[in-house]
Amino acid sequence: MTGASAMLLLALVVLWRHHVPAYVAAFRMQSIALAFVGAVVARYGGVPELFFVAALILVLKAWIVPRILSRMEARRPADAALQPLVNTEMSLLVSGALAVAAYELSRPLAEVVSLPTRGGLPIALALIMVSLFVVVSRRQVIAQIVGFLMLENGIALLALLGAYGVPLVVELGVFLDVLMGVLVMQALVPRMRRTSGG
Amino acid sequence: MDVVLVAALLVPPVSAALVALLASRRPAAAAWYSAVAMPVSAAAAVAIAIRLAFGGAPVVVGQAWRLDALSALLALLIGLVTTLATWLGPGLNRQSVPSSETRPFRVYAGLFAFTMLVAVSTSNLGVMWVSIEATTVTSALLIPLRRTQAAIEASWKYLLIGSVGIALAFTGTVLAFVDYASTGRDPAVALQWMALVAAAPSLHPEVAQLAFVFLLVGFGTKAGLAPMHTWLPDAHSEAPAPLSAMMSGVLLAVALYAIARWKAVVDLAIGSAFTDTMLLVVGTVTVFVGSASLLSQTQYKRLLAFSSIEHMGLACFALALGPLGVFAALLHVTGHALAKSVAFLLSGRIYDRYRSADIDHVPGLLGTSPPTGILFLAAVLALAGLPPFSLFLSEILIVQAAWSAGHPLLTALVLLLILLAFASLLTHVQHMLFGEAPADVARDEGGRLRLAVLAVPLAMLVWIGVALPEPLRMLLSRAAEVVGR
Repeated sequence: MTGASAMLLLALVVLWRHHVPAYVAAFRMQSIALAFVGAVVARYGGVPELFFVAALILVLKAWIVPRILSRMEARRPADAALQPLVNTEMSLLVSGALAVAAYELSRPLAEVVSLPTRGGLPIALALIMVSLFVVVSRRQVIAQIVGFLMLENGIALLALLGAYGVPLVVELGVFLDVLMGVLVMQALVPRMRRTSGG
Repeated sequence: MDVVLVAALLVPPVSAALVALLASRRPAAAAWYSAVAMPVSAAAAVAIAIRLAFGGAPVVVGQAWRLDALSALLALLIGLVTTLATWLGPGLNRQSVPSSETRPFRVYAGLFAFTMLVAVSTSNLGVMWVSIEATTVTSALLIPLRRTQAAIEASWKYLLIGSVGIALAFTGTVLAFVDYASTGRDPAVALQWMALVAAAPSLHPEVAQLAFVFLLVGFGTKAGLAPMHTWLPDAHSEAPAPLSAMMSGVLLAVALYAIARWKAVVDLAIGSAFTDTMLLVVGTVTVFVGSASLLSQTQYKRLLAFSSIEHMGLACFALALGPLGVFAALLHVTGHALAKSVAFLLSGRIYDRYRSADIDHVPGLLGTSPPTGILFLAAVLALAGLPPFSLFLSEILIVQAAWSAGHPLLTALVLLLILLAFASLLTHVQHMLFGEAPADVARDEGGRLRLAVLAVPLAMLVWIGVALPEPLRMLLSRAAEVVGR
């Protein structure tokens, strides 16, 4: 529960901070929290293969991907703070509304799931929705990438809490896709003249 | 036997990518290898399709691979369109194309075809999601082949919107998985098609609805359904022509295939009323967006891209119209794959000749190169839904299905939009075909043999439109049974 809440709070960081290093740091911390949740579920849910998944999360999402993002940021021509399309107050308000909507939407889900982790499901759904909002409301490409990665983290959290993780083959495929996607994005971005994405 | 079929289907594209990757010094040899390898894959798809058309059992290999009639139809389309694209792609003709384009094209086109084929032949809907997500990456890499600023931006837009959209589809997949896992069945096989179908009736109705909304928005983004279609006109028009053919001809169909699969599962849980309503609304809006945007287009590749949106909207609409509708949707997707890939491949030749993407700057096509002009006209007429091409037949069936399903108003609206699309396409194409060509445009016609290849899919369209061959009809009905039982 604590780990899941921490993940949602870290997504909110992106809404009020305007500098890329803060975004990357928030994503890194969020991934560590996700790995922590994975390890806890592995330990108490009796699903040893989740230890492996948690380790992969640590390596990929808390180490490799943040490094790629930081390198992208270092190569970016320096400019002032990032201008979001929606201001901070409004962003936080919208996120609050999304979190409430997530609680409403996840009510049937809580009826279905009987695992002890089901209390965290609304938080996972809220994280998904807030991340989606980050992607659509930020103009800076790195902020959009971080939003997308947080969305992936939210889905991983949903799978962990709702069913103790998806089948391993799917999990591995998702990791591969995330890594490929970020690699392609970082290859593409420096070639764009505009630094704000569409 | 099944192992051989699946291997023959999947190995050629991935080996073509590997050969192109390793034989970096000899791009032409790699191009020839892929031109020979892809037909093998297409032949395997034909063999699988024939077996399933005549009532054979699905092709199954272990837990991992399972091709039923619906998969076979998609594999067939992917095989055919990819073969055309590899034959007309860079690296095989001696003139024009710089060899720096050959290698990346062969590598990524091979991987792109491979990821699409895996998506339709896996038995696991989770793996299906993974490979559809991978199609985004493999195809996005190819869009900026010529490194123009517009192409790079189109690629970025496609990558971002596609990735986020497909992540939502994964949310839906996970929701369905959570729902399944809590029915107490073995979670290890949870996303396997057969297990999912068996468990579907005991899924929780509201969770199934929530999952389907996420799945429709997610895969709908990849299928170019409105209002998530905004990446499509840029990506399809900026991509190199052979890639546009693959993305428009079959990738959209693969995304629609994913929606159809999940619709089948959700329908077993809650009946088809909910999914039908969703698909009808999204489909109608998409047809409207595609059709209404056609007239104002000034570039021919964007014209073709909006026509793809229109046709995907029609197919989505038809999926909601019961067994006849699903049959018509699959027939429509088949016709669209053939006609649109020919049109896009020809658009590449037109661009190479005129060096302009604007409709106004390419007049006199019939005068400068009659074969290209005639084939392009035929492809556009097919896309406009004119008889004797098969899209006419499928559009008639869609309208008929909509009418008999009790949607008179929607039927009238869609019919009107089809007519509008028809008029817009014809207006634009006659600007391109007739008139006086600029003096500096070359009049010779190279690569006649490769051009003649493009007449084959057009002939198939006429054949299907006139006589609907029995094996294809049977394959389509069996595929429709997978979606709506």
